[in-house]
Amino acid sequence: MSSAEIIFFLVILVTMGGAVMAVLAGSLIHAMIGLVTAMFGIAGLYIYLNSPFLAMMQILIYVGAISVLIAFAIMLVGPFYLKPKEWTTLGKFVAALGIGMISLLLFVRFVIDTFPRTGSPTFAMDTKRIGRAFFDELMLPFELISLLLVVGILGAIMLALFSRGKQ
Amino acid sequence: MTALLYNQVYVYLFVALFLLFCGIVGLLYRRTLIGMLVSMELIMNGAGLNLVALNRFIAPENASGLVFALIIMGIAAAEAALALGIVILIFRKHLHIEGGNLQEMKE
Repeated sequence: MSSAEIIFFLVILVTMGGAVMAVLAGSLIHAMIGLVTAMFGIAGLYIYLNSPFLAMMQILIYVGAISVLIAFAIMLVGPFYLKPKEWTTLGKFVAALGIGMISLLLFVRFVIDTFPRTGSPTFAMDTKRIGRAFFDELMLPFELISLLLVVGILGAIMLALFSRGKQ
Repeated sequence: MTALLYNQVYVYLFVALFLLFCGIVGLLYRRTLIGMLVSMELIMNGAGLNLVALNRFIAPENASGLVFALIIMGIAAAEAALALGIVILIFRKHLHIEGGNLQEMKE
């Protein structure tokens, strides 16, 4: 087993461990740390998929922006006056496990033989081609994403400014 | 020489399936809204990983999967900002963030 495969195993373990920690951690800040761990693992998987630009974007946007946002929200919601119960009933957990088992069965039964086993070794998608794809044929979705972000910012400002709760 | 493990598509698909499964468990099993949002981010990341893996292995001649993964990141950023604004608003009004007890918008 080469060292690349060992590192690949470690990346997959980091991703799965982070996902499990994000779901099953007792406190929210631990869940956020698990989410950050899973994000780093996915960035490593993107590097193994020959797309380092996407890995950098993953780290910048998710680890740099969204996790900080979630951390700020946790801190603002902060000291729980009424300590909330974190978990719902056990039946929902069993239902989710059932969904997971069914989807795993479908995956093993149908999906795993659909695709060819190996990919082409010459997949190198540099940033130039991604930029061409964005600005040539996908111009409208790109502009719609920027519009969506502007509307999101305006909506967040409106929510923060023009609403008064009981203090 | 057999195919290397990181050069096969179903490994990535399995990891994406696992992320989707963890997200579903979190959405159903957690009670606080921020925990549900964290699970939502896991689901979106699984979708992005799926798209990039299928782009690399099935259709390597164009960059559609990478572009859609980037679009998913933008949507996730906007969604997280708005959802956290709503969560903080709910906390100011109700002093808790449990999803099951919010019933004002039902009727």
